[in-house]
Amino acid sequence: MRRRTFLSLVAALNTAIVLPSLTVAEAANAETLTVLLPPWGTIPKAMTDRFQKEEGVTLNIQTMGWDEIRTKIVTSMVAQTAPAQATEVDWSWVGQFGAAGWYAPLDGKIADDTVADIPTAEIFKFDGKLLALPYNNDFRILIYNKSHLEKAGIDNPPKTPQELLDQAKAIKDAGVTKFPLGLPLSATEGTSTAWYLLTMAFGGDLFDKDFKPLFTDKDSGGYKALAFIADALKDGLIDPAATGLKDVEVQELFKSGAITFDVAGWAGNLAVYSDSSKSQVADQVDAALMPSATGKSRTFGLPEAIGIPTSADNQEAAAKFIEWVAKPENEIEIYNSLGDLPPRLSVLKQLDDEGKLFAGDKLLAQAKTVEPLFKQGTPGWYPEFSSAVASTINQLAKGQISVDEAAEKIAARAKEASER
Amino acid sequence: MSARTINSRFLLAGKVVGVLALLFWSVGPIYWALATSLTRPADLVSKAPRFWPEHVTFEHYARLFGAESVSQGNTVQSVWPQFSAALLNSILTSLAATVLTVAIAAFGAYAFVRLRFPGRNLVFVLVVATMAIPAYTVMIPLYRLMIMMGLIDTYVGITLIYVSAFLPLALWLMRTVYQAMPLSLEEAAWLDGAGRIYTLLRIVMPLAAPGLIAAAILTFLNAWGQFIVPLVFSPTLATKPLTVLIPEFVTRNYVDYGLMNAAGILAIVPPIILVIFLNRYLVSGLMAGAQK
Amino acid sequence: MTAQRILAARPAYQFGEAAMGLAFVLPIVVIMGGLVFMPLVTTVIDSFYRVDPMRAGEPFIGLRNYTDLMTDSNVQASWMNTFAYVVMAVVLETAGGLGAALLLNNIRRGRQWLLAATVLPWCLPPVVNAIVWMWIYNPSYGVLNHALISLGLLDAPRVWFNDRGTALFLVTLVHVWRMMPLTAIILLAALQSVPKELYEAAKLDGAGALKSFRLVTLPLISGGLAIALSQSTVFAFNLFDEAWIMGGSGLDTRSVIIQVYMSAFQNLRFSYGMALSLLAMIASLIVSMIYVLRVYRETRLD
Repeated sequence: MRRRTFLSLVAALNTAIVLPSLTVAEAANAETLTVLLPPWGTIPKAMTDRFQKEEGVTLNIQTMGWDEIRTKIVTSMVAQTAPAQATEVDWSWVGQFGAAGWYAPLDGKIADDTVADIPTAEIFKFDGKLLALPYNNDFRILIYNKSHLEKAGIDNPPKTPQELLDQAKAIKDAGVTKFPLGLPLSATEGTSTAWYLLTMAFGGDLFDKDFKPLFTDKDSGGYKALAFIADALKDGLIDPAATGLKDVEVQELFKSGAITFDVAGWAGNLAVYSDSSKSQVADQVDAALMPSATGKSRTFGLPEAIGIPTSADNQEAAAKFIEWVAKPENEIEIYNSLGDLPPRLSVLKQLDDEGKLFAGDKLLAQAKTVEPLFKQGTPGWYPEFSSAVASTINQLAKGQISVDEAAEKIAARAKEASER
Repeated sequence: MSARTINSRFLLAGKVVGVLALLFWSVGPIYWALATSLTRPADLVSKAPRFWPEHVTFEHYARLFGAESVSQGNTVQSVWPQFSAALLNSILTSLAATVLTVAIAAFGAYAFVRLRFPGRNLVFVLVVATMAIPAYTVMIPLYRLMIMMGLIDTYVGITLIYVSAFLPLALWLMRTVYQAMPLSLEEAAWLDGAGRIYTLLRIVMPLAAPGLIAAAILTFLNAWGQFIVPLVFSPTLATKPLTVLIPEFVTRNYVDYGLMNAAGILAIVPPIILVIFLNRYLVSGLMAGAQK
Repeated sequence: MTAQRILAARPAYQFGEAAMGLAFVLPIVVIMGGLVFMPLVTTVIDSFYRVDPMRAGEPFIGLRNYTDLMTDSNVQASWMNTFAYVVMAVVLETAGGLGAALLLNNIRRGRQWLLAATVLPWCLPPVVNAIVWMWIYNPSYGVLNHALISLGLLDAPRVWFNDRGTALFLVTLVHVWRMMPLTAIILLAALQSVPKELYEAAKLDGAGALKSFRLVTLPLISGGLAIALSQSTVFAFNLFDEAWIMGGSGLDTRSVIIQVYMSAFQNLRFSYGMALSLLAMIASLIVSMIYVLRVYRETRLD
C-alpha cells in the first residue's frame, strides 16, 4: 500500500469512529486571509481594519515566535498543507523553500516598479523567480558608543578592522569599560552572521561561485575574521561570557552601556538604542559604516519577507496583502508602530528627509552597499552550514580548538552539507 | 532521657532540615523569578544581583493587566486580552484532558487488573510503551490526520492529543493502585448482590481516590507545560495556551525578561490552586475510612 | 496476589466479563491506535524512504538512514550528551523525589503547602523555567556566581558553560528541577497505599527505620518506583527545551532530540531525523524495560 493512502485510510476510519457528529465542513471563507508572522510583523489593528476596508478581505494574523514559525511551516508543508495563506519567509530559508518548491512565485503578481524600489527583493529570488517580498529591511552596520570613544581620547570611529581592535584596546586601557567589543559567540545564528560580516570587513567572501570554501587560507578574509575573534578574546576585549550570549543579549549589554561597539549591529536597532525610554545610552549612540580592510565598506542584507505557500488557497487575496504592505504609506506606518526598517529605498530617503531616521545619513550610505551574502542565491544547505559555523565558533571561543582547526572544520562541514 | 526520645528528636531535626532543603530547592528559583518580575528593567543588568529588588516596580504586571502595553518598545494595545484568552485556553484544555484521561484510565486500568478479556496484557504493554515516543516522531503524520479531521485549532483536537499523550502514565499508575487493593472488598459487595459497575463506582473508586487524584495532578501539570504540541496544533488565540504565548514576548530586538517572568509567575497560580485544593484527597485517611 | 489466583481459578474468558473489559478498553484502543500508533507506523515506514523536500522523489532506501546515522559524528556527540543527561537526571530525580515523597508522607501539619511548593517547578512554563535558570547561571549578573563569591568558594565569576562537563551538569540540574516533582508525586501516591499496620508490625519486630524501609516500604512501592524510573528515563531521553535555550546548537550540550530537530526541521533531511527519533525511542524503551523488569523481579512478594 502506498504510504500516503495508508494514512488517509486510517484518518477516514478515525473520523468515522470517533467523530461522526463533528462536521468537518469548516468551509474556508473566501473573504478571510490567514497570515503567519513573527511578533514584529504583527501589524496593529488599525491597519488590519484599514486593509479590510480598502481590499474587502478580513485579515487573520497569527503571531508566532521566530524559531517556531519555521517548525510550523516545515510541519505543515511536509504534511502537504499550507501553514497559512501567507507567511514569513526569512532570507536564510530561500534556498530550502525554493528547492522544495514550497512557495508560489510572485512574478507578475506584484508591480514591477514596486520590486525595483526594493533592492533586497533580489535575495528572495530562487532560480530567477521571486518567492517573497520583503516587509522588513535588515542589514548590518557598526553601532558604537561615542562617549566611550571620547573618554578614551578617540575622535573618529574605526575605519578598518585593525583600528577597531586598537580602539577597543585603548578604551579598555583607559578603563572606560572592561569589554569594549560586543560580539555574540554562543552556538546560535547571530554568531554566524557576525562572522560573515567580519569576513566581508576583511575583504573576503565565504565561497567562490562553485561554493568552494574561501576561508581556509591564512590570507583569506574568513580566516582573518576567525583570528580576529580569537585575538580579541585573548586580549580581553570580548567578555569570555559571550560564549553564552545571543545577539539580542549583546544588544541589551550595549543598551546598558557595558560595551562600546555593537560590531554586528542591526540597522533597525538604531531607533531602539536612541530612544531614552528603552536605552540607557540614548544620547551616546552613533553609527558608522562597517570597517573595511580594503577601503570599501561592505555589508549584507538579512531581510524578512512575506510569501505564499504553493498549497494555499485564495492566492490572489494573499498577493493583494503583500502588495498592500509594500505601499509606501503602509511601510511608514509599520516603521512607526513596529520599528521595521522600510524595504523601499524611496521610503528610507523620505524618512531621512523628514528627519525621522536616526543616523539616517549613515544608514542610507550603508544601505547602498548592501549585497546578498550569497551572490548565486542562498543555497538550500545554508541552515546546516550556518549552525555548523555557530557551533564551531562557539568551540573556538571556549578555547577547545584553534583557528586553523575551526577553519578546517567549517570547510569540512560546508562540503558535507553541500554534497549530500 | 530515654534512647527513644533522643531518637525522635533526631528524626524531628532531620525532618526540619529536609523541609527547609526541599523548600529552598523548589521555591528558591521561583522566588528569583518573582524578584526579577518586580525589578526595574534598567536594574536587571546593573552591577550585582540583589536578594530583594532595590526599587520594587509593578510595571511588568501593569503591562499584562493594563490598558496599554509595550511591545518592541512601542506602545501598543494591552496584551491582557491575549493573555487572558491564552490563560483560559490553558485551563480549559488541561482540565478537559485531565477529566477525560482520568475517567478513561479509571475504567481502563480496572479492566486491565480485574477483568479478563482477549489481548489484555498485549494492549496494556503496547499502550504503556508509547510513553517513550518523542513528540517529533509522530508530529507530522498526526498533523496530517488532524487536518483531515478538521481538528486543527479546536479544543477537541488539542484535548484528544493530550489524552493520547498522558493516558499511558495514568493507566499505569491506576493499574498499580488497583493491584494493591484487596479483592475481598469487591467480593463482599458481590455477595451482597451488588453489580460489577455499582461495585466499581461505589466501592473501588472511592478507595482508589488518592491514586485518581495523583493521576489527575500528573495529567493536569503535564498538559499545562506542553509547548511543541500546541505550537503546531493551536496556531491562533482560539486555542493557543500560555506556554506558546509567553515566548512571543522574547522578540527580535528586545528580550523582555521582566515581562516573561511576570507572565511565568501568573502562569503558576492556577495549577498551584488546583494542587492545594486536590491535595486534601491525596491522603491515606480516605482509605482507612472506607475500610472500617 | 490472591486476586490473581482467584481469577485464575475461574474458567477462561467469561462472556459478560470480557465484553465489559473490552468496553472499558475500547476508548483507549481507539485513541491510542488512531493518534499514536498509526502516526508511528507512518513514521517508521517513512524512515526507510528518503523523504527530503529539497530533493525530488521519495525513493525507497532501506536502512540507509540508519547506517548513515552510525557514522555521523554530530549524532555520536549528541548520543554521548544524552546518555550523560539520562544517567545524571535519573539518579538525581529518583534520589531527590524519593526523599521528598518520604518527607511529605511523614509530615502532618502543612503538608498541602509543602506539596504545593514541591510541584511549583513543574507549573512554570518550560521556556520561563529555562530563562529563570539562565539568569541564575548568568556569568555577570547571575546569583550563582554572586552567592559562591560571597561565601568565599570562588575568587572570580565563572563562565559556567565554557566547560563541557559543567555545562552538561547544569543543564541536567534545570531538567531535574522541573521533573523531580513528577517522581515525588508518583512515589507519594505509592507510599499512600502502604498500610500503616505494616510499619507498626515491623516496629514491633524490632526493625529500625532503615530496615523497615528496605523490608516494608521498598517492596510495596516497587510498582510506583518502576513508573517513576521509566518516566524520568523517558523524559531525560527527550530533553530538548533546557539544552536548546541554554546551549543552542552547541555540540557540548546538544541532545539527541535537538539533533532530530536540526536534521528534520532545520536541514530538512526529514526521514533521516525521523530515523534518529525512532532510535531514541527504542533506546529509552530498552533502558526503561531494564528497570521495570528488574524492579518487579527483585521485589516480588512470594
